[in-house]
Amino acid sequence: MTLTHTGYEYLFVIVLLAGDFLLLVNMAALDASEERLKKFKYRGKDASMRRQRRVALNLELRKARKDEQTLKRRGITYLPVDPAFEDTTKEISLSMDEIMKGVNSSDLTICCQATQAIRKMLSREKNPPLTMIVDLGVIPRLVKFLSLRHYPHLQFEAAWALTNIASGTSAQTQAVVQAGAIPSLLGLLSGVSNAAVCEQAVWALGNIAGDGPELRDVVIASNIIPRLSSLISSPISISFLRTITWTFSNLCRNKDPYPHEEAVKQMLPILSYLLHQQDSEILSDTCWALSYLTDADSERTALVIDTGVLPRLVELMDNSDINVLAPSLRTMGNIVTGPDHQTQMAIDAGMLKVLPRLLQHPRSSIQKEAMWALSNVAAGPHHQIQQLIAHNLLPPLVALLRNGDYKVQKEAVWTVANFTTGASADQLFQLINFGILEPLLNLLTVPDLKIIVIILDVISSILQAAQNQGVKESLCFLIEELGGIHKLEALQFHRNPEISWAALKIINRHFDEEEDGYMDVLNSKPRL
Amino acid sequence: MRSGRSLAAAPFCLGLNVRRSSGGRGYCLLQCALRIPSSVPVSPQESLAMELSDANLQTLTEYLKKTLDPDPAIRRPAEKFLESVEGNQNYPLLLLTLLEKSQDNVIKVCASVTFKNYIKRNWRIVEDEPNKICEADRVAIKANIVHLMLSSPEQIQKQLSDAISIIGREDFPQKWPDLLTEMVNRFQSGDFHVINGVLRTAHSLFKRYRHEFKSNELWTEIKLVLDAFALPLTNLFKATIELCSTHANDASALRILFSSLILISKLFYSLNFQDLPEFFEDNMETWMNNFHTLLTLDNKLLQTDDEEEAGLLELLKSQICDNAALYAQKYDEEFQRYLPRFVTAIWNLLVTTGQEVKYDLLVSNAIQFLASVCERPHYKNLFEDQNTLTSICEKVIVPNMEFRAADEEAFEDNSEEYIRRDLEGSDIDTRRRAACDLVRGLCKFFEGPVTGIFSGYVNSMLQEYAKNPSVNWKHKDAAIYLVTSLASKAQTQKHGITQANELVNLTEFFVNHILPDLKSPNVNEFPVLKADGIKYIMIFRNQVPKEHLLVSIPLLINHLQAESIVVHTYAAHALERLFTMRGPNNATLFTAAEIAPFVEILLTNLFKALTLPGSSENEYIMKAIMRSFSLLQEAIIPYIPTLITQLTQKLLAVSKNPSKPHFNHYMFEAICLSIRITCKANPAAVVNFEEALFLVFTEILQNDVQEFIPYVFQVMSLLLETHKNDIPSSYMALFPHLLQPVLWERTGNIPALVRLLQAFLERGSNTIASAAADKIPGLLGVFQKLIASKANDHQGFYLLNSIIEHMPPESVDQYRKQIFLLLFQRLQNSKTTKFIKNHLLKHEISFALMNRMFGMVLEKIIIPEIQKVSGNVEKKICAVGITKLLTECPPMMDTEYTKLWTPLLQSLIGLFELPEDDTVPDEEHFIDIEDTPGYQTAFSQLAFAGKKEHDPVGQMVNNPKIHLAQSLHKLSTACPGRVPSMVSTSLNAEALQYLQGYLQAASVTLL
Repeated sequence: MTLTHTGYEYLFVIVLLAGDFLLLVNMAALDASEERLKKFKYRGKDASMRRQRRVALNLELRKARKDEQTLKRRGITYLPVDPAFEDTTKEISLSMDEIMKGVNSSDLTICCQATQAIRKMLSREKNPPLTMIVDLGVIPRLVKFLSLRHYPHLQFEAAWALTNIASGTSAQTQAVVQAGAIPSLLGLLSGVSNAAVCEQAVWALGNIAGDGPELRDVVIASNIIPRLSSLISSPISISFLRTITWTFSNLCRNKDPYPHEEAVKQMLPILSYLLHQQDSEILSDTCWALSYLTDADSERTALVIDTGVLPRLVELMDNSDINVLAPSLRTMGNIVTGPDHQTQMAIDAGMLKVLPRLLQHPRSSIQKEAMWALSNVAAGPHHQIQQLIAHNLLPPLVALLRNGDYKVQKEAVWTVANFTTGASADQLFQLINFGILEPLLNLLTVPDLKIIVIILDVISSILQAAQNQGVKESLCFLIEELGGIHKLEALQFHRNPEISWAALKIINRHFDEEEDGYMDVLNSKPRL
Repeated sequence: MRSGRSLAAAPFCLGLNVRRSSGGRGYCLLQCALRIPSSVPVSPQESLAMELSDANLQTLTEYLKKTLDPDPAIRRPAEKFLESVEGNQNYPLLLLTLLEKSQDNVIKVCASVTFKNYIKRNWRIVEDEPNKICEADRVAIKANIVHLMLSSPEQIQKQLSDAISIIGREDFPQKWPDLLTEMVNRFQSGDFHVINGVLRTAHSLFKRYRHEFKSNELWTEIKLVLDAFALPLTNLFKATIELCSTHANDASALRILFSSLILISKLFYSLNFQDLPEFFEDNMETWMNNFHTLLTLDNKLLQTDDEEEAGLLELLKSQICDNAALYAQKYDEEFQRYLPRFVTAIWNLLVTTGQEVKYDLLVSNAIQFLASVCERPHYKNLFEDQNTLTSICEKVIVPNMEFRAADEEAFEDNSEEYIRRDLEGSDIDTRRRAACDLVRGLCKFFEGPVTGIFSGYVNSMLQEYAKNPSVNWKHKDAAIYLVTSLASKAQTQKHGITQANELVNLTEFFVNHILPDLKSPNVNEFPVLKADGIKYIMIFRNQVPKEHLLVSIPLLINHLQAESIVVHTYAAHALERLFTMRGPNNATLFTAAEIAPFVEILLTNLFKALTLPGSSENEYIMKAIMRSFSLLQEAIIPYIPTLITQLTQKLLAVSKNPSKPHFNHYMFEAICLSIRITCKANPAAVVNFEEALFLVFTEILQNDVQEFIPYVFQVMSLLLETHKNDIPSSYMALFPHLLQPVLWERTGNIPALVRLLQAFLERGSNTIASAAADKIPGLLGVFQKLIASKANDHQGFYLLNSIIEHMPPESVDQYRKQIFLLLFQRLQNSKTTKFIKNHLLKHEISFALMNRMFGMVLEKIIIPEIQKVSGNVEKKICAVGITKLLTECPPMMDTEYTKLWTPLLQSLIGLFELPEDDTVPDEEHFIDIEDTPGYQTAFSQLAFAGKKEHDPVGQMVNNPKIHLAQSLHKLSTACPGRVPSMVSTSLNAEALQYLQGYLQAASVTLL
């Protein structure tokens, strides 16, 4: 049948076709449909959304975990300090009044005694009287002592006391800063100072910087970085180097806003140097620093990647010390949340070789972190998924989805979800052949709404892929064998409407009545 | 049977006792009865306020009283009046005053119900709608309601508590900051009536934490609640438990205290659902130790005599099992050290809990807890001891698999329910199901030992049975159930058991213990065991060898006569399942020849079974009838006259009051099968069917039996299509009626009607053009209506396709222009994927439209969406259309459209080579729901009335790829040189490679 070309002059006509139906035809405004087109969300996700950034939810019901790095530290134990500062005086316990008087005394020996008494009180393991000391109003005095170059012992005691005050609440840290401690502490960082005093000053500054982005930037603006840098290049004790490294980590820490790009550029070569040390503590804090710097947008992450630290980080992911392993894994995990090419660099650095071991780490928190990283690799394009498969990561994925601790299982569900969205049909069937469906379906009974929705989504896309490949029937069979239909049916009655609707949709679309039998009787032509 | 799921999932209407509120306002005649100051504007839209005066209270009391009157003539006006004044300020406060102070108890309760409903209707502030309750009233209500609720008697307390949760849902926490403190303060009161009121309210406010997604808003609220509530709740929990021991001998005190404990445990669940809160992690010791103690606690005073209804003790323990399961599943790391104690406690609980129905929920919850724990590798050690295993099998699993008095009752008196639970697995919360799950869980690590333990049991139970069958038949039932649950590792509807425990010899058990029961001549003896035996055949049909199955077929046919509904239903179902089994070559396992010896008795017994009491509309039997027809094919022809008579009689009977949708569906399928099978052998026989059926059909149409009309149209289509010659006049008389708008208003009719119109067009287009040309606009009107709807536009296209394909062109020429306008208008207004798919089909039409819009359509719709076309025939039509557009359409070569030529070619190659894009834009998922108003009969496609896919380009084009190559070749000869250059400059490499492949296959080249 052919139709002839007819011209159209009217853009606005009323067509009356049949008595029963009247229709107004408006030929104008074609853009309406284009507008709609923009609103369509295909499957609701684009690639960037699939990578789960560690969301900085201030809102947590959970206890804060201990495996995070400490923000502020108080000097509790007596440090191996210069013998010159060894207590010559006997233990004297002073009353608050006496302390007050002592600190304000013009006799520096008495000042020193009083300061030491303060320091000792603040170094008590339990309930140091921080508030009391702050309220005493001695901070300005302590700050003043910092500049007494000829009395290193007093400087030391004052710096220590200030360190411990700064380790307190934000208000207490502020009190130290407002007394003008930063410039005085910074003054102690010159080569002239006694090493112990210098180290104590660095520590105090670390605590101040650890308070939050504002004070961090104040400390950075005081030009601390070159000072620390030159300290590193001078011969210093390992403990001092540790303190410096830790202070660096606080200078990198916190977002909203992130530290200035210039500062980061200054710090990166130093961090890169520290990353090649052998000491676990130094490595740990360096890795934490890098983890903070990579918990950012891809441009910032690129700065870190460009220093060429990835291979070393991957090496450290295998470190026997969990304090090194955890932050290096976190850093690499951050990097794979970035765009595909950055993820590729992490893969090229050998990250996927280490992950299988980490997924079997005795600590579930490490498994979880490793799984999180894996989930973000799985969010990549086919060829990255292929590498994931090639590194034999599917068996531990299935194993953890089956038997992992729940928080690991959750990450594993994300991994499967990301994998499903990006994988080719062939890759998807490999995942299924490794037995992903059974543990996945079992998790449909879990009391966690979000996870249920994700799994339903995964099942729906797997079924769709199977349908496209013409193997839906065997997949449906498998799902039913595994008791999946019963679970889907039960979910139809879920109180959460999104869940019940999703379950209903899968059943209607893929398992609806009479797949079993008489339709294929009809299709087998010879019989009819 | 998996049909009817979507029905079952229809949202339940909650049984909130809303007293009817009909109609709108405007019933103001009575309003003067309340003295309304005319000049006190309060809220902007309802400028009236009612005084809180005794007179008004009195008037309100009168009206409330009238709303309870059984006589609608008194009740309705009173209701309407109340509704007409409810917008006035102080109205809710008047109600609250009444429910507090009225002397009349009935009025108190009535006021509380009215108040609750008022809150329910009006409290929520909907954007862009007026605020229906003035701010002063809102404040006053919130200030007083908690106190009022707590000081009211229970009946009123419940209503107010509901009202509080409705208000809370809107206002809590931001707009009701005092609520939490107020509630917590009441914990101090020491009055457990008050405390329970608070707890109940808290529960209704917090239970949504169990089914809402994590969000900032939700978690902020939870955090707030935790901060204010967690510690007082914990203290209350401890105090309550202490009180329980000091009042251990005071039954009435205990009952109140246990009600508190249940509510506290429920609150615990809600507060811990989203994540493990810091507070509860820190206080886990307190909670878990106490939960553990409560699990092991028993007190004679709390035991109830009621066999059915769960008592307080059971409810509490059941909730504790849920709490423990929540922790075990989500917070395993933190809970780990408590878990073994809970396993022991729960196991002991199971061992000591009786068989009464009231314990069912507790027992199944407890067993499910064990089942979920025993599968985890790190808890394997808790179960692996042989004594433990034996004890679990012996004391937990076996007792819970026993056939109980309640099961027996259901078997006899409520067989439908029994069958649903037993066959369709709707037994989620039953003890038997839980016990099966536990068996399956234990078998994960301990299959050998568990099988060993149970084999011993099975044997001893069978021996018991053998000693005295009539007394001990339940032992055999348990034995069969045990074997079944032990052997089945995976199961599907279509195949029964698909993976069996290899340690169980199923065939041997079948021969020794199942067949003998079924062979016994008395089909009515031990009906439960018969049902068990039949079910055994049914589910193990893929494990038992064919020769044994063949032996059981006549036995099953025999059991169609059993009086027990369960037994004859199972027999029908088993036959139906056996007849669908597949053998090698995907042919049915049983051939018609193998069943031939039983045809007569099979058909007789099936139809006879439909006359047994309780089975007159038994869907399993009807399905078995359908399946038998389909398997036996020509073998049923001799019986057709009888069969069709019986079917039409049945049809006539059920059309009086269609109540069993599945039964009806299979009945129509069976009718279709009779027609197809008979007419295939003898097309002329169609007349006989028309004779037999039309009378009933007419009655159905005349009586407007909505459920059946779509089926009738489908059967008529089948009959009409069977006619080889021109359309019989009896059908033509019907034609005008089919175009009546009223028929098209029911969505369920539409597919069937379209199908029927298509059959008319196919067989009778000439008749229509000559004798009913005046109906053509009506036909097109139907098309117009259909494409205007998102849900039915594809049906409109089917119709249009048939019109264009079959009607003589001159008869529709005059309407062509309007048709295009409609198509494009629809396209711009809303573009659904389905529409696009269908639109693409009509390429031959679209390319005629060469105006400004065409390029846009091409660019915005066809090229990007072509990948969504699915179905082989559809793809082919589409390919042919695009080929035509590319090669036979001059404007494509030399106007502004030329730039679209290569993209179009590229997407055509994509259509051939790339996987189909099946993504449906999100909002379209909801089309079906939006467009299906209310509870209209849905359309059900009859499989056996089906017609084959229609391929209008079939003869013309065999291989669309070759066709493309040839057409391109032809085009290139017409304008030499242009095609190769267009192809090579802008087609991508991959596509070019494919194209070269086509050209080679067609052995042509581009010039």
